[in-house]
Amino acid sequence: MEKSKKITDQTRRKFIKQVAIGGGLTIALGNLSFTFISDEKNPLLKKKVIICDFSICAGCKTCEISCSAYNFKNLAGKQTFGLVNPKHTNIKVHQFNPALDIPATCAGCPDTPCVNACPITINQETGEKALYVKEGTMAIAVHEDKCIGCGLCAKACETERVGVIRRNKETGKPEGLCTYCDGDPSCVKNCPYGALSYVTVDTEYEFFGKSPEEIAKILTERFYGV
Amino acid sequence: MIKMENNFGTILDINLTTRKIQKIKLAPEDIKNFMGGRGLGMKILYDRIKPGQNPFAEDTPLIFMPGTFSGLPIPSASRTCIVTKSPHTSPKKAKYEHSSTVSYSNMGGFIGPEIKFAGYEGIVVTGKSPFPVYLKIEDDNVEIVDAGKFWGMPTDEFDKEFDKELKHEFQTCYIGKAGENQVSYACIISKASKTAGRAGTGAVMGSKNLKAIAVRGTKMPNVANPEKFMKLIDDARIFFKDRTQTQWWRDYGTAGALKPSSDAGSMAVKNYREGTFPDIVNYDAETARQKIWKRNYACYTCHLSCKKSGVVSEGRFKGTIVHDSPEYETGTMLGANLLLTNINDVMKAIYDGDNYGLDIISLGNTIGFLIEAKEKNLIDKDFLDGIDLKWNDIDSVLALIEKIAKREGIGELASKGVKVLSEKIGKGSDEFAMHVKGHELAAWNVHVNSGTGISYATANRGACHLNGKNVEGQNGNALKDSLAICFFATGWGGYDEQQLVDFVNAITGSNWTKEDFFKTGERIFNLEKMLNYREGFTAKDDVLPERFFKEPLTVGEKKGAVLNRKEWEQKMKDYYTERGWDIKTSKPKDETLKKLNLDFLV
Ligand code: SF4
Ligand code: SF4
Ligand code: SF4
Ligand code: SF4
Repeated sequence: MEKSKKITDQTRRKFIKQVAIGGGLTIALGNLSFTFISDEKNPLLKKKVIICDFSICAGCKTCEISCSAYNFKNLAGKQTFGLVNPKHTNIKVHQFNPALDIPATCAGCPDTPCVNACPITINQETGEKALYVKEGTMAIAVHEDKCIGCGLCAKACETERVGVIRRNKETGKPEGLCTYCDGDPSCVKNCPYGALSYVTVDTEYEFFGKSPEEIAKILTERFYGV
Repeated sequence: MIKMENNFGTILDINLTTRKIQKIKLAPEDIKNFMGGRGLGMKILYDRIKPGQNPFAEDTPLIFMPGTFSGLPIPSASRTCIVTKSPHTSPKKAKYEHSSTVSYSNMGGFIGPEIKFAGYEGIVVTGKSPFPVYLKIEDDNVEIVDAGKFWGMPTDEFDKEFDKELKHEFQTCYIGKAGENQVSYACIISKASKTAGRAGTGAVMGSKNLKAIAVRGTKMPNVANPEKFMKLIDDARIFFKDRTQTQWWRDYGTAGALKPSSDAGSMAVKNYREGTFPDIVNYDAETARQKIWKRNYACYTCHLSCKKSGVVSEGRFKGTIVHDSPEYETGTMLGANLLLTNINDVMKAIYDGDNYGLDIISLGNTIGFLIEAKEKNLIDKDFLDGIDLKWNDIDSVLALIEKIAKREGIGELASKGVKVLSEKIGKGSDEFAMHVKGHELAAWNVHVNSGTGISYATANRGACHLNGKNVEGQNGNALKDSLAICFFATGWGGYDEQQLVDFVNAITGSNWTKEDFFKTGERIFNLEKMLNYREGFTAKDDVLPERFFKEPLTVGEKKGAVLNRKEWEQKMKDYYTERGWDIKTSKPKDETLKKLNLDFLV
C-alpha cells in the first residue's frame, strides 16, 4: 500500500474543505484559537522547520548529540553539559545500506495529523488538546498532565508522515518532537557540514513529510541506481 | 591521578561455552595505567592468556574495546579496538607450538560509543558456542542468540538482514565467510564499510562461532570537569571548521594519497617491487570522484567524512556497490600492487574481499606474492588449481579471492598468508614474501622511506603502517588507540598532543602533562612487547623483507632507491637503545619496565 504523505492538490482540497466545515479541524496557537476558513490563513504555513540537504549530510550524528544536549537538559531539569546519549534526540539520523544517512525530524505539517488524532477534548480556555501547537516556534508539544498516553498521535505521524514520535516506554506519552530549541536550533548550529537549515515549511518540497525509509528509497535509486 | 568519575569501570564478560554472562569490575589501577581501548584491552589479554596459548583455544579472549573518549561528543572519537592473540603471526624460532604476537585492530563507525552507552568499558568474549550465535546487548540485558540462518551470509547482505532483524536500533559488527572459516587474516566489519581489518581478529571471532555483536545503550558516560570539557568541545568544533585539511579529507579521503604516494615512489606496486605506478591516475581520488563516488560520509561525531560511497556505473561490474573505495590501502593493495589498471576491476576486487570479510591488505599481499612466484616459475598453474594468475588480470584475482575465503584447494594454503606460502614454496621466495613476523606489509613501500621500515619492523602485531616511524610516534599512537580517537583527526593539522591531554584531564580529573601522555603509550607498547617476547619473538624477528635491500626501484623519479643495510642496522640499534631494550635480543630491560610501572613483567 502506497501511503501518500505529500500534501497533494487533492489532499489540499480536502484539507481546505475540512477547514471550511469548521468543526473538523481546530488549530490552537497558544491561547489564540483558530478555525480556518482557508489554508492561506493557517499560521502553520509560515512555520519554520528543520530541513536537511541529504546530498551534504555525512551522517556524523552531531545533530543528535547537540539536540539531546539541549533538549534533554530541559527535559531532565538538570544541566547535563552536553554529555548525552544521542538517543534523547528529536532529530534521528537513520542509517541505511548502501550508505545513506537520513536525519528525520518533525516536518511541521500545516495540517497537523498528530494533533488531529489526539482524542483529548479541546480545552475551551486555551483551545488546546493534550497535543498542541506552541506559541512562538509553533512546535508541536504535549501537555503532560492531559496526555493519557494513548499513542494515537504517534500512530498518525507514523502512518501519514515522518514518524518522529516515540512513545515513552513507561507512560506511552509522546517524545521526539522538535522544539526548535526555542527558536535557535542546536542541530543547525552544530552540524559540521552545514547540511541543516531552519526555514519556512514548504509542502511542495520533494521530501516533505516523507518517512526516512521513503526518502532512502528515492535517494538510493538516485545515488546508486539500485 | 585518574579518577573514576567518567568510567563505568565495568567490562562485560561473556563465556560462549558455559553461557555465563558476568559484569566484572576492573581494577582502578588498570584503568589508570592503561586507560581504555588498545591499552586496557592488552592488560585484560595479559591477565587471561598463558604463554604459547593457541589463539583458537576456547579460553582465548576476544576483546572489544572502546576508549577513554568513547561516548563523549569529542569530534572523531569514534574508534573501537579489538584485541586478542594473533592467529596470523609467528616468530622465526617458535618457543611454543602456537607462538604468536598480540593482535589489535581498530575500526571506526558507531559501535565503540554504543558499547560505552550500554555501560561498559569493553566486552570480553571467551569460550566457543557449539553452534553459530550472535550477541545482543541492550544495556544490562545480554542475550546469546542463534545465528544459524545468518551463517555463511556475505557481509553486505548480512549487514542489511541483521539490521532488519534488530529493527534498526542497534550498532553491529560481524564477520564474513572468511572469519567463519578462520582464514587467519579475516577481519571484523561494521556497517559494511568500517573494518578492523588487520591481525586476524575475524578468525578468532569465527573460531568462537560468533557471527556478530549487536549493541544498544541508553546510559551516558560522565566527566570530572564538565565546564572545562564543554569548553574544549566548543574549541574543537571551531578548530575543525577552520582547517583546510578538513576540506581535504572531505574531497579526497585517503585516496588523496594515491597519486602523491606513487609520485614519491612510496606506493606498494607489483608486490613491492616498485614504488611508482603511472596507471594510478585511472583510480586516484580525482577519477573516483568523477566515476564512482556519490557521497562523503563520516563516523560518529566526525567532521572529516573521509569515507566515500558510490557505485560502478559501467562495464561488466556495473551496479557493484562501493561502500568506501578506493581508499589508499585498499586501492593500492588490490590495485597497484597487482598492477590492475581498470577502476571497475579494482572496485569489484575490493567489494568481493570485503564481502567475504578478508583483510584487504594481507589479501593483496598474498595475491601479489603468488603472481610473482608464478611469473618466476617457482609455482605453476597446477599449484594454483588451474587459475592462470597474472598481473593486471581481474578474473584470476577474483577466482583466487573466492578460493581463499572458502579455503578450497590453493585457498587453504593461501589463507595463511605469504609467510606460510613462502615456506611451502621455498626456492628463495621468502625474499619477496612481504611480511614481518608473518603479518603482511601495508600499502607503503620502504625503498624510499626507512621510517616506514621502522614502523613495519617494530610493530607489535607484525608489520603495521599505523605503528609509528619512531619511538615517540609509536608511544603516542598506542595511546591514541587507547583513547579511541581517530588518527586522521590527529597530527597533520589535527589535534596535537596538548589538546588530547586537555581532554584527558577534563574527563578524568587528572593532571597529565604531555610527558604522561607519551609515558602511558610507552607502557602499553612495552606490555605488548613483553607479551611477544615471552612467545619467542626477538630482534631476529624485527626484520624487513630482503627485497628492500637488494632490488632498487626501476620506475619513476625515485628510480634507484634502495635501503642501505648498514644504515638500517644502525637505525634499529638506535631504536632499541632509545626504547631501553637490549640491543641483541630486543628484550625490554628491567629498569625500563620498572620505570613504566610494569614491575609485574620483570
Ligand atoms: S550533524 Fe549534519 S552532517 Fe551530521 S548527521 Fe546531522 S545533519 Fe548530517
Ligand atoms: S511530522 Fe509528525 S509530529 Fe510533526 S507535525 Fe507532522 S505529523 Fe505532527
Ligand atoms: S499520546 Fe497523549 S498527546 Fe498523543 S494522542 Fe494520546 S493523549 Fe494525545
Ligand atoms: S531544532 Fe532543536 S529540538 Fe529540533 S531537531 Fe534541532 S536540535 Fe533538536
